[in-house]
Amino acid sequence: MSTSARLSILSILVAIGAVAAYVQLFRVAIIRNHPEGYVIAFALATALAALGVARAQRRRWPAWLVLGFSALLLIAGAWFNFVAARVPATPTALHVGERAPDFTLPDATGRPVSLVEYRGKKPVVIVFYRGYW
Amino acid sequence: MAELQGLGAQLSEAEKSGVEIVAISPDPNEESQKVAEGLHLGYRFLADRDLAVARRFGLVHQRGGPDGQDVPRPATIVLDRDGVVRWLSVSRNFQVRPDPGDVLRAVRAL
Repeated sequence: MSTSARLSILSILVAIGAVAAYVQLFRVAIIRNHPEGYVIAFALATALAALGVARAQRRRWPAWLVLGFSALLLIAGAWFNFVAARVPATPTALHVGERAPDFTLPDATGRPVSLVEYRGKKPVVIVFYRGYW
Repeated sequence: MAELQGLGAQLSEAEKSGVEIVAISPDPNEESQKVAEGLHLGYRFLADRDLAVARRFGLVHQRGGPDGQDVPRPATIVLDRDGVVRWLSVSRNFQVRPDPGDVLRAVRAL
């Protein structure tokens, strides 16, 4: 196997490995909280693929194909992490040391639950979340 | 959802009974509740369908959803027994959540 082919294969392994690791280890806080890790891995994959193109001698198109694949992942991953996933900083109604606003919402069985029910009884951790993340 | 599992996994049985974890989302919450019960997390899932509570808390990400709809900003809030905010984390990137260890430290410090 030529050096170019080895570099191209390594590039694909790094790129696919980054996606698989992120999806599989998503529940591990350190992986989830460093999404720039997959962008760095895609950049590494692109660099390996570019080296593969530089080293290619006769049949060059497979190396170019791998370079296109990894560059596309790099652009898409960087856009997703640095642009799409940004949440604008807007002022919240919450301040440390002040009481949180009360609310009443239905639970999974439809029973209304109010924040005041816990007052004087238990600390409460409120998690606002959306979908998969 | 993913962060909720991380948080629940680190709580001891005593802590699970000593603190209420309330998960609020506009999503239908029957499925989430099933997942939580399967994992013995003991959370309450509350449905904030029209984001009224997220709005009151100032936690709406306008047109932040995949179809351009308003969605809640991911946030974790620790309240003491008097309902006073003691610790707060609001994400600036929707993939990123507070480390469960930091949340637990805030709870244990109450």
